[in-house]
Amino acid sequence: MFNAIVSADTLRATLDSVSVLVDECKIHLTDEGIEIRAVDPANVGMVDLRLDAAAFESYETDGGIIGVNLSRLEEFAGMADAGQLIQLELDEETRKLHVQIDGLEGTLALIDPDSIRQEPDLPDLDLPATVVLEGKDIDRAVTAADMVSDHIALGVETDDEVFYVDAEGDTDDVHFELGRDDLIDLVAGDAHSLFSLDYLKDMNKAIPKDAEIEMELGEEFPVKMHFDIAEGDGTVTYMLAPRIQSD
Amino acid sequence: MEFAVFAERADEIESTSADLDIVSLVRDLFRVSAEDLDTVARFVQGRVVPAHESTTLDIGPSLCYEAIARAAGHNVSADDVESRVAAVGDVGDVAAEYDFGGQQGLGAFGDGGGSADLTVGEVESELRDLAAAAGSGSQDRKLDLLFGLFNRCEPAEARYLARIVLSEMRIGVGEGTVRDAITEAFDVPLRAVERALQVTNDYGLVATVARDDGESGLDDLRLEVGRPVQAMLAQAGTVTDAVDSWESVAVETKYDGARVQVHYDGDAVSLYSRNMEDVTDPLPEIVAFVEESLAVPAILDGEVVAVDDAGDPLPFQEVLRRFRRKHDVAKTKEEVEVQLWAFDCLHADGEDLLDTPLEDRHDRLTEILDSGVSALAVTDDADEVAEVEAEALDAGHEGIMLKDPDSTYSPGRRGKEWLKRKPDVETLDCVVTGAEWGEGRRAEFLGTFELSVGAGPDSFETIGKVATGITDEQLADLTDLLEPHVLAEDGKDVTIDPAVVFEVGYEEIQTSPTYSSGYALRFPRYLDVRDDKDPESADTLERVERLADGE
Repeated sequence: MFNAIVSADTLRATLDSVSVLVDECKIHLTDEGIEIRAVDPANVGMVDLRLDAAAFESYETDGGIIGVNLSRLEEFAGMADAGQLIQLELDEETRKLHVQIDGLEGTLALIDPDSIRQEPDLPDLDLPATVVLEGKDIDRAVTAADMVSDHIALGVETDDEVFYVDAEGDTDDVHFELGRDDLIDLVAGDAHSLFSLDYLKDMNKAIPKDAEIEMELGEEFPVKMHFDIAEGDGTVTYMLAPRIQSD
Repeated sequence: MEFAVFAERADEIESTSADLDIVSLVRDLFRVSAEDLDTVARFVQGRVVPAHESTTLDIGPSLCYEAIARAAGHNVSADDVESRVAAVGDVGDVAAEYDFGGQQGLGAFGDGGGSADLTVGEVESELRDLAAAAGSGSQDRKLDLLFGLFNRCEPAEARYLARIVLSEMRIGVGEGTVRDAITEAFDVPLRAVERALQVTNDYGLVATVARDDGESGLDDLRLEVGRPVQAMLAQAGTVTDAVDSWESVAVETKYDGARVQVHYDGDAVSLYSRNMEDVTDPLPEIVAFVEESLAVPAILDGEVVAVDDAGDPLPFQEVLRRFRRKHDVAKTKEEVEVQLWAFDCLHADGEDLLDTPLEDRHDRLTEILDSGVSALAVTDDADEVAEVEAEALDAGHEGIMLKDPDSTYSPGRRGKEWLKRKPDVETLDCVVTGAEWGEGRRAEFLGTFELSVGAGPDSFETIGKVATGITDEQLADLTDLLEPHVLAEDGKDVTIDPAVVFEVGYEEIQTSPTYSSGYALRFPRYLDVRDDKDPESADTLERVERLADGE
């Protein structure tokens, strides 16, 4: 059983942060709220999302897992105006999700969860550096790097207490740095890793520009980025594996 | 099997040129393929799924170049890959030039340790996932999957992955090679392998069954409703060929439509094109027709024909419009009406009929299908063949098929058992010197025209009669044209003053005592009136003699 009412904004933010990596996902329904974990087909980027029951106007479930085609559900959610409420109700008989927005009603066929790519184990990483910055700074870094390259290096200089971004193209390059004063917080530790911009661009699309992002970095290690959604009643963690630095 | 091992073997096969050596290498590969045998049997042919599955990867070169570029790393673009392919000429060789694996997977950082080597099974399952991706964003998903695969490839693996993905294996392994290699690898008779391939259309399955269950396993393989097989094909041939080769000839209409294989499991109908593409969705009224008219589960062979409002056949292109239509089926359905003419029955109610003679298969077809059965006339009389042809042409169809009534159904075979009547070898311009009044609804028209050729000034000698190839409408016009030249009438027979010239097609010229020229046209067919010719410029006996000598 699953019957919930949620604001269109919250639902869209939730779905968008997963759909930048995968098309289909399993949604775990628990007493505390919903949980989604998914990894892209190449096992390079991962999302781990939790949306608490408190983020919903009303929330009832006796547990279970449903498989969802994200773009279809996003289309349904797109039919609502920003402030409108969306009711989601699982029809156990037909295995369809009943969606209601004001007078608009629809049903969405669910996907057999077993047919969806296995969820990954969350690597337990102890990363030496933590940077807390605004979403718009990540956007700026990604946009700048994208001008010249398809790769981006993220790092922290322990001595100078600086977070930096490097992108090297065939002919042009970009360097961007933020000191302790420009950052919300910094736990300095030596860190430098190279990432594919393809993935970071996708993740950046779902990162709210005004949100506080906690970024954890290491030496040739994955980057982790945490941020809140639904006014703190939900969290998203992205993890992205690095590229090997050839030179 | 590790994909690297497959790639190494494929490389060995590619650098071998003698056919027999290639078969031996493929045989050895099959023997060590273990649980991946079915996949390997397809991969060597550059196939991911069996031919009978409608699934396609739907990956164009540009998507493949993009995936290679992403895996290749720092600032390599799809354009770079494309220009390398243009320079090198082979996508596999280009893929092998790059150093992949720069992107690490998250798995390398978890407790599970580094990612394992790519296996044939993994490549197959990832490519199947890729084929299944559909709808909005599916191109991105395909790209991600393909990138993920390339990213795990060593250069030798990348070469063959790229080629498999684009179905351009190019290692010199064809269907015949795989067939022979299965035979050698598992010591089973070639005939059993051939038959099993015909009924299953699945090289992977046949290889596996040959290995696990031997000859008896192969013999147990049957047609399966829902698994299309290749259509039996026809050669071009003449009525003479047919009459000379067989005791009797089965004649049926040759439709100007698109071949379909109908599969009905007693509940659902599936339709497949000659390329085994699933065309069920574009042809809802054929599905409805089969559901209503077919009594038992069956596999039928037939032709889908487009018809106009009056029910007359339309050209083949009209059917193609329907086949290609994926969206708005309802709209095109209104524009182009189609109907099914079934002419063969491969399977009926649990019984495979491939080895049953054609005539009996057709009887079975008539028993189980209420309507839409193409008529089959069995005769040893060439004139009757001509009559059937006349009727078929008259009804607006393309012509006739000639089949050996005793022949079995051999999927994928283009043998001498089925002949499509070859268009006339030659044409002659003949003078009309006589005719007969028709019968029944054609009583008011002249028909069966006597043909003659010039044999000197104002002298004509007969060479045959033509009655076929003429529609009712044309008969009316020809009657109007010829009636002013009628010299005498005797009952139904009419003598006509030489004035009108017909262009006539025929299969061959024979010597004959029946006509005054001493020759006869075999299977003459009316083509047109030569308005531009008068009797003096029609063909002459001299030319007929030359043509007859030439043959």
